[in-house]
Amino acid sequence: MIPPPKALIAEITHRCPLHCVYCSNPLEMGKVELSTDTWKRVIAEAAELGCWHLHLTGGEPLARKDTEQLVSAGREAGLYVNLITSGLGLTAERLESLVKSGLDHVQLSFQDSREESGNLFAGTRSHAIKLEVAERIRKHRLAFTVNMVVHRGNLDHLEELIALAETLGADKLEIAHVQYYGWAFENRERLLPTRAQLDASIAMVEVARERLKGTMRIDFVAPDYYAKYPKACMNGWGQGLMLIDPAGRVMPCHAAGIIPGLRFPSVEEMSLSSIWESSEVFSRFRGDAWMQEPCRSCERKTIDFGGCRCQAMLLTGDAEATDPTCSKSPMRHLVDKIIGDVGHAALPVPTTDWVYRINPTN
Amino acid sequence: MKPLTVASRPALRAGCRLSPASNPESLLLIPEGALRLHGPSRKILELCDGQRSVDEITIELGQTFPSADRERMGAEVTGFLQRLQEKGAIELL
Repeated sequence: MIPPPKALIAEITHRCPLHCVYCSNPLEMGKVELSTDTWKRVIAEAAELGCWHLHLTGGEPLARKDTEQLVSAGREAGLYVNLITSGLGLTAERLESLVKSGLDHVQLSFQDSREESGNLFAGTRSHAIKLEVAERIRKHRLAFTVNMVVHRGNLDHLEELIALAETLGADKLEIAHVQYYGWAFENRERLLPTRAQLDASIAMVEVARERLKGTMRIDFVAPDYYAKYPKACMNGWGQGLMLIDPAGRVMPCHAAGIIPGLRFPSVEEMSLSSIWESSEVFSRFRGDAWMQEPCRSCERKTIDFGGCRCQAMLLTGDAEATDPTCSKSPMRHLVDKIIGDVGHAALPVPTTDWVYRINPTN
Repeated sequence: MKPLTVASRPALRAGCRLSPASNPESLLLIPEGALRLHGPSRKILELCDGQRSVDEITIELGQTFPSADRERMGAEVTGFLQRLQEKGAIELL
C-alpha cells in the first residue's frame, strides 16, 4: 500500500498577468483548461485519497472566474485551502468572496523590495498593486505568507525584503532561491547568485529568524547548485505530492514534463487514486530500483532519493543519473563549471534581453 | 516569543484550524501541513478560545478525564501548547 499524497497542487490555469523571468511553469503551455465541474470532482477525489492540503496556483489562479467555487469545493471536501497568487486580480470584493468560500491561507509573491526592479523581474507593473493587496489581506482572518524568490539581482536587498514582509504583517516569509527549471533555466546565467551572496543570505536569514521568533517565521530554500548534496526533491518521486496541470494531466512535480517518455494520465481517463497507486509515471522513480551508481550504494539514498530527476535530465541528459549537484556525482563538474562562470563579483543587473515567460499559445 | 504561563489565554492563530469532525483523521491543519491529534489533544485545542486560561483549560480537561493526575496533566497541557506556539499554530491573548 502506497501512502497517500498529503497535498494536491492544482495549477488551474497557465494564464498570468506576470511574466516572471524565473517562472517554474513549462516553456510550452496550452490554453486547454478543465471545467469547473471536473475540478470539483478532482478536488473531492484528492480528499478521498487522503490529501490534507489543496494549493490553488497557476499561472495566476485568479485568472479563472471560478476560483471561489474551487475554494468551496476544497473546504466541503475537508481540505485546507491555500491560494498562491501574484495578487493581481485580488480586489476587495474578490478577497471577501474567497474568504466567505473558506480560504485558509494566502501566499503572495513579491519580486523585489524595490518597485523598479520588482517590475523588471515580473515583466509587469505589479509591485505597487501587491503592496495594496497585502494590506487588504491583513484585514481578514487568514494565514498570510509572503513569498520572495531571490537571485543575483535582488539578493543584495535581502535585509529590505525581510523588513518589507514584517511591515506587511506576514505570518511567514518564504525566501526561495531560484531553482533552475522552466523559464529560470533560460535565464540561469543572469540569475545565479555568487557564493558570497549566498553565504551572506544564509547568515542574514539566521539572524532574522532569531529576532522574529514567535512573530514571523522564515522558510529558506537554498540554491542547490552550491550544495554538497542534492535536495530531497518533492521528498521523493510520487511520495507526498501530486500536481495537476490546467489540462488535467497528473504529474509528480512541476517540471516532470521535460523527461522524455513519460506519459501523464489525465483526470478525465482515470481516478486520482488509480493514477497515484498504479500509473506507470508515478511508479517510475519510486523506491530505489531505478538508481544508478553512486546512488544505488549510497547511504544517503533514503535522505535525498538521488536528488531531482528533472535536474538530472536537464544537466546530464539522463533522468536516471545522480543529480549532478551532488558532490558524489561523476558529472558534478558540469555544475562547478556553471557556478565558476558566475565568478565572485555580483555583476550589475541587466535591464534588457531577459527571457520573459509568455502566456499559453496553443 | 511571549512566555506561556498558566494565566495565558491561548487561541489558534489565523489559518490554523481543527479538521472537520467528519474527517476520518483528527488533525490540526496549519499552513505547512497538519499534526495528527491523539488522546486529549483535540479536546485541549477545542478549549483554546482565547477566553480560557491554561489553568482553566486544565481544570475543564480534568472533568473529561477525572482519573488523571491534575498536576501531571497541567504540565502536559503546558508542554503541548508550548510546542504549538513554537510552530506558530497558537498565539497568546
